[in-house]
Amino acid sequence: MIREDEDKIYVCRCEEVTVGDVRRAIEAGADSIRDIKLRTHAGMGVCQGMTCRKNIERMLREKKIDPDACHTSQRFPVRMVQLGELARLVKEEQHE
Amino acid sequence: MNKDVIVIGGGIIGCAIAYSLQKRGKSVVLLEKHNLVAGASGACDQGILLQSKAPNEHLLLGIRAMEMYKELGRELGRDLEFTQKGYMLLMESELECRVMDGIIEKQRALGLPVERISADEALRRQPGINREEIVGATWCPWDSEVNPYMTALAYADRAAELGCDIRTRTPVTGLVMEGGAVKGVVTPQETMYAETVIDACGVWAPEIGRMAGLEIPIRPRRGQVYITEAVPLFMRCNLLNARYIVAKHHPELLAGDHSLKAQLGVGFCMTQSGKGNVMFGATREFAGMDNRCTLDGLREVLAEATRLMPAVKELNVIRTMSGLRPYSPDSKPLIGFVDGVPGFFMAAGHEGDGVSLAPTTGKMVADLIIDGTTDVPAAASFNPNRFDLRPKAP
Ligand SMILES: Cc1cc2nc3c(=O)[nH]c(=O)nc-3n(C[C@H](O)[C@H](O)[C@H](O)COP(=O)(O)OP(=O)(O)OC[C@H]3O[C@@H](n4cnc5c(N)ncnc54)[C@H](O)[C@@H]3O)c2cc1C
Ligand code: FES
Repeated sequence: MIREDEDKIYVCRCEEVTVGDVRRAIEAGADSIRDIKLRTHAGMGVCQGMTCRKNIERMLREKKIDPDACHTSQRFPVRMVQLGELARLVKEEQHE
Repeated sequence: MNKDVIVIGGGIIGCAIAYSLQKRGKSVVLLEKHNLVAGASGACDQGILLQSKAPNEHLLLGIRAMEMYKELGRELGRDLEFTQKGYMLLMESELECRVMDGIIEKQRALGLPVERISADEALRRQPGINREEIVGATWCPWDSEVNPYMTALAYADRAAELGCDIRTRTPVTGLVMEGGAVKGVVTPQETMYAETVIDACGVWAPEIGRMAGLEIPIRPRRGQVYITEAVPLFMRCNLLNARYIVAKHHPELLAGDHSLKAQLGVGFCMTQSGKGNVMFGATREFAGMDNRCTLDGLREVLAEATRLMPAVKELNVIRTMSGLRPYSPDSKPLIGFVDGVPGFFMAAGHEGDGVSLAPTTGKMVADLIIDGTTDVPAAASFNPNRFDLRPKAP
């Protein structure tokens, strides 16, 4: 009963992934943050895991899995940015 | 441990092969150094492209692969986000149009529904393109899309259900050799034996080859791409520019171009994933095993995308990504037993086509190992022994 309720909690708000989704991915063999990302899409949203990553790491540790074993790479950009704005910044920089 | 086949590498090619062999009753173990799709298959685009194929048996191969993809979701019991939105190839000069017209005619003769359309028609099919930069386009409704990492994972999961032993975080560190033949592999945990060992390690295939005393001519060709936030329908079809396809036939077209864009091999492509993320790229650079994104690469890709498709400026980018395509000198994969090294089978070097060709590669490998022959088109042209794989004298 308790577990059913917990399963419905969103762990990744951007991609609407629940605790249950992550639990099922772990049961299917996911044993790293990257596996969970590929199987559930948790961490693929606009915040790129900034909000949900810590919670998923905790869920993995609770299952005695080292979340860093296959880390996901951090890539540009750190925060979402509009492409037109980015193109304008690049142009300005090149004219300096 | 003793198996019929050991597959090394858990990318889309290794997973497709493991499934195809296990399905036909072989006992298979798949060994992956990191996690599944840790390499190119987890950092690539989604195109199943037919228009890019030379108008010969390679086009027939592409058509077969597309037809296999149509059934694959059902076969593996999972939605692979396969759709058929078609691709448009944008052309920027009269020369490009002339060359493409010649190719299209031959592709049509082989049964591919591809046509030449005007720039205005191109804009009707996909709003947001820069009318000033293009003189026309080609259109092929059979070109398709599929989610590459979900396909690889679905192959692996189905193979496992059928009894395949899949081991992640298990690097192959050596081969068991006996009288010049490969008998098994060594991992940090154990030594395993099998009749056949398959090298499906993408850009890392040469490392395994070296363990068998071979020099595999595969090199990493990096591709850098952007991914935007998920948005409602933005790409009604997929886009590509014709430049590199034309350059294959007329190398002089690029020979005089020394711009940074040309040096990085920037070709334009833009698609939208099943989730709604628009993805565009890409560079085609030789930069060793470094798979990081670079400032130059990202700058040039952005400039090219905003030039040809200015509408993308409205979207927000959330991530960039880069992957290493396994390039082979003649742009064809190496698939088959290696002469002089019994037990050793190559299946790598798909460069920018590994997603498209995964189902046909899986089938071809299972056919060759079990039947000794295959009906997959163009199979003979992938024979690894077309290259001299013995190490050159120092
Ligand atoms: C930006 C980009 C866009 C692309 N777009 C498309 C496209 O639209 N359509 C298309 O068809 N193709 C596309 N491709 C090409 C496609 O991604 C590749 O051809 C394909 O993923 C290659 O798959 P693979 O399984 O051979 O290699 P990989 O996916 O690289 O797999 C090799 C695996 O071997 C493992 N490995 C390495 N060494 C060892 C070892 N010693 N022991 C055990 N395992 C080991 C690695 O960890 C890796 O997981 C694109 C590629 C890039 C980079
Ligand atoms: S909350 Fe998971 S990606 Fe934003």
